[in-house]
Amino acid sequence: MLNYSLKRLASAIPTLLLLITFAFFLIRIAPGGPFDAERALPPEIEANLAAKYHLDEPLVFQYARYLWQIARLDFGPSFHYLDWTVNDLIAQGAPVSFTLGAIALVLALLIGIPIGAWAALRQNRPADYAAMSVAMIGISIPNFVVAPLLILLFAITLGWLPAGGWEFTPSRMVLPVITLALPMIAYIARITRASMIEVLHSSFIRTARAKGMPEKTVLLDHALKPALLPVISYLGPAAAAILTGSVVVERIFTIPGIGSYFVQGALNRDYTLVMGVVILYGILIILFNFLVDLLYAWLDPRIRYDDPEVAS
Amino acid sequence: MPLLLAWSMVSPCGAQTLHRGLGPEPDALDIHLAQSLSALNVLRDLHEGLVTFDARAELIPGVARDWQVSADGRTWTFELDPQARFSDNSPILAEHFVAGWERALDPVTASPTVGLLDVVVNARQRRLGLVEASAVGVRAHGPHRLEIELIEPVPWLPELLTHPVTFPWPGEPPRFSGPFKLVERVPGSHITLRANPHWREAGQLALAELRWHVIEEPNVELSRYRAGQLHITETIPPGRLDWLRRQFGDELRISPYLGSFFLVFNHRREPFANNLPLRQALSLVIDRELLTERVLGAGEVPAWQLVPPGMPGWPDTDPGHALSQEQRIAEARRLYRQAGYSERRPLRVELRFNTSLAHRRMAAAVAAMWREHLGVETRQVNEEWKVFVANRRQGRITQIVRGGWIADWRDAANFLQLFESDSPLNYSFWHDDVFDELMARARGQQGEQRLATLRLAEQRVLEQHVIIPLYYYVSRHLVHADVEGFEDNLMDIHLSRWLSLR
Repeated sequence: MLNYSLKRLASAIPTLLLLITFAFFLIRIAPGGPFDAERALPPEIEANLAAKYHLDEPLVFQYARYLWQIARLDFGPSFHYLDWTVNDLIAQGAPVSFTLGAIALVLALLIGIPIGAWAALRQNRPADYAAMSVAMIGISIPNFVVAPLLILLFAITLGWLPAGGWEFTPSRMVLPVITLALPMIAYIARITRASMIEVLHSSFIRTARAKGMPEKTVLLDHALKPALLPVISYLGPAAAAILTGSVVVERIFTIPGIGSYFVQGALNRDYTLVMGVVILYGILIILFNFLVDLLYAWLDPRIRYDDPEVAS
Repeated sequence: MPLLLAWSMVSPCGAQTLHRGLGPEPDALDIHLAQSLSALNVLRDLHEGLVTFDARAELIPGVARDWQVSADGRTWTFELDPQARFSDNSPILAEHFVAGWERALDPVTASPTVGLLDVVVNARQRRLGLVEASAVGVRAHGPHRLEIELIEPVPWLPELLTHPVTFPWPGEPPRFSGPFKLVERVPGSHITLRANPHWREAGQLALAELRWHVIEEPNVELSRYRAGQLHITETIPPGRLDWLRRQFGDELRISPYLGSFFLVFNHRREPFANNLPLRQALSLVIDRELLTERVLGAGEVPAWQLVPPGMPGWPDTDPGHALSQEQRIAEARRLYRQAGYSERRPLRVELRFNTSLAHRRMAAAVAAMWREHLGVETRQVNEEWKVFVANRRQGRITQIVRGGWIADWRDAANFLQLFESDSPLNYSFWHDDVFDELMARARGQQGEQRLATLRLAEQRVLEQHVIIPLYYYVSRHLVHADVEGFEDNLMDIHLSRWLSLR
């Protein structure tokens, strides 16, 4: 297992390098630059700005400079938020996005899995249809509709919760967390239900029941673990996405996370900020996919990565 | 639920903290690097220049108690208030202004707004690195006297001195020359300011604390206002004016603003280069009243001119057009034919704008008017912001683009400079010797004579139909009934020092 883990981590480096290279050149291809504005600057002032940020150098030099910079974990100054470095912005925004994302994720698992399992046990009965219809609605109503509705009801009409703004207090987190968690609850419930139904029809469950094992043991010890495999695969990329924030949720609740930097960075041609958040997201994706694979091995004894045939 | 209720008690609209909407995150709170409107609003609370604004945005003395101008209008002498102090109680001296201007002009600082100082002797040469800092026309004569030498008479100099790029530079550590000092800054969330006890008029300050909230979306800002989290909004969402009026009554403040919105022809390319009748025809058929009332509907004022009403030396209202809408359409049809177009040979044109709901509606309405009255086939091209400004500036593929200008200071030349041949702001690429000559002549003049020349220059722009004026901007805020001292004004500048909570 250790051998496998080391190999996986080593392979992450070329993947990241490829990602950095693609992102670096792609954002530069986009027309317009960081200092294009409604009011065009005199050329000599533009030249000063370009020189300050080394944008006057050939692109390959800039690329090399950037690689050297990030090797020292320095993501450089933001080109749009001039008072901050990208490290500052991520350091201030990431804890906010991580907190909200992690709470939403846990909530989604705690609610989604039981609903899915429960629906599976009542397959094709009214309870199943009801649960899955609600889940379908949860998936299809976009968060930019849910969030304003929640604000209208809980902040404006009832006045129970703030309409937005950020502090590390429960009252500020309730609505954003609900908005983030709702579609995930729905996804997880649907995935759990489908995979649980499949497992319940498999022969080893039939065997377990035939042996007279208590139904509770059958379900919790034998059925649930393999049924969770698809949920785990979904969680890898989903966790990376939710922990890096959501543009829509951050915009609507005015939350200073890093989700909006993906869009703002690109729109402002804030090259360094875009690179910073892309690299962070890339690292999280790689990390979570790795964790998913480890969880797989734990949940399904048939998967063993140290087996030379699988690992090679 | 009781728990939730308890949480909501920490609602921020309490005691003596004023909550203001700011719009987007400021680009910088460094006086020499800041460009965005939101940054200027915060900087004017944190710092103070030689001159400042009263509640109606009229000019009043700031750090300077008094000033004199020489007879030729080129040398200004400012007497500094000896009471003026930074937030650490150290005195603000003339040398702090000189140091600030030196830093601004240093190419290493790469200040984007330093071009504003070009009217000062040798400022341009200094920022190009051609002369030493000591050659620049700003000098300290003793601790409390500052002399500024200009290359030409600049009647709007006092207003220029309200811009943060001209403010005293405190150096390190950061200190504040204004009514408030910075206590907290969370990017993407808020900026908290607290009263500066060492400010020269600290005794008159009503607010103990002030929080500017970063909110990009007007609809989100409205929600927070409705939920009681904001006292003053930066703007209102477009297209909901009637509902807002019913809902908020006197809290809704819509007021004229010194800004113009127009469409700009590219004079370097076909079909508009040297085709005055065609440009005129396209301008005449647009029904501005219909556009502002029915299409935009956020209080905008129909425009036929470039310089907005209320500008010193200009009338208080737009005189409108001499012809009725029917007569204008008939005249436009004649001109359209004269330009060589007809129903069988229609003009095909691209109207380019940056992606925004308001611009999309404007473009659709304009295109419909052109088609209905002239048969013009318009392709509406909306582009992402940076793509749009880059294309507009290069002028290689543009035909008609969205344009506009908001006054930096109350002077008509601020608008007219857009059309000078060598201006980097001239995305019309109009090159007119008559206009350039008028602008050059105005530079040497003063008073009413100068204004008369500037009016001729504006007339030239309008006669030549360089642009299609569409409307004048209005400022739009929601101001809570508890707020006192918020006065509508043409510059839409509302320093927090004048505000208080009932």
